[in-house]
Amino acid sequence: MTKKAFVPIMLQHFSLMNTSKRIFLVFLTLVALWCAGILLAPLLKSAGLSASSILYSFYSSICHQIDGRSLHLAGHKLGVCARCASLYLGFFLALLIYPFLRTLQMKQVPGRLWLFIGVAPMIVDVLLNITGLHASTIATRTVSGLFFGALLPFYLVPPLLEAVAQVIDRLPSRGGLTYARKTEQV
Amino acid sequence: MHEKPNKFRVALISGAVIGVVSAIPGLNLLNCCCCAGVWLGGMLAMYLYRQEFTEGMPPLESSDALLLGLMAGVVGAFVSTFLSVAILVVFGPVEAEFLRSLFEKGLERLAEEGTMPSDMVDQFRDQLEGAVRDSARVSSILGNLFIELIVYPIFAILGALLGYALFRPKTPLQPTPAQ
Repeated sequence: MTKKAFVPIMLQHFSLMNTSKRIFLVFLTLVALWCAGILLAPLLKSAGLSASSILYSFYSSICHQIDGRSLHLAGHKLGVCARCASLYLGFFLALLIYPFLRTLQMKQVPGRLWLFIGVAPMIVDVLLNITGLHASTIATRTVSGLFFGALLPFYLVPPLLEAVAQVIDRLPSRGGLTYARKTEQV
Repeated sequence: MHEKPNKFRVALISGAVIGVVSAIPGLNLLNCCCCAGVWLGGMLAMYLYRQEFTEGMPPLESSDALLLGLMAGVVGAFVSTFLSVAILVVFGPVEAEFLRSLFEKGLERLAEEGTMPSDMVDQFRDQLEGAVRDSARVSSILGNLFIELIVYPIFAILGALLGYALFRPKTPLQPTPAQ
């Protein structure tokens, strides 16, 4: 397949997908870009490209980026610390397998208990570190971050797909109406 | 049929909370963990908005969470920038100084252990000095506002959606409309 033919075919496939699949694919792409930026920062730095400083500066607003608390790639720290990086990567990996575990039409989210179970290792790790009972390591930060990150899509994807679908449905180009007006008409 | 409650008031309150959490030195360390402060602000927005619903109103929807998170994030970015500038004017670059002292300790330890060559330590020190000086520049403040206007709405939306998933009424939802 030539490069020229690839884009129209992909666009055609995209337009044939239902709303949920399209929204999910866009969300997955955005998360992939976010994670790619985290991994690209050290790679660009090792290549001596100044674009890395833009990426580091962007991610600095959401993470302390302390070298000793970060995972390294090509000799340089990632765009965010180990905990954040593993959380985002866990989120991305879970998002990749999400359609194989649940249908995109499924609107139910798991119970609150699972969210507390998911966040508990991270909170315990932070609290043990603050109280000085056990110093958190790169391994504990990475594992607890991955665990929590991998759980989040199961809570975020259903309301996100539903919300974006509702917004699209109400766009003026689709004859959008507010809920109240719709019910009045019925 | 009543209209839904106004989102603007809730977005202002939760945006103010996001701004305060993000601007107060020390408290803003909460945002060092994947913008946790902004996530919580989004969740707070959803919680407060849900409290405003009364009988006869249209049901709370996930698109409300999306819009509320977006609004709270934008308000939060502006409030955070405004408070940061106010703190900078009144107290000077306390946050940058605090971070410098934090990094200084790490650098000293690395230099003592010999894990980092001394010339590299000096280079890092110069960069830290530069960061403290730059923190008061208008371009730096505007640059931060620009980044916050991108990042805060994203995380506030995620927080609000998570809040919606946790606080929503237990009535069955309509399936997402297929094309």
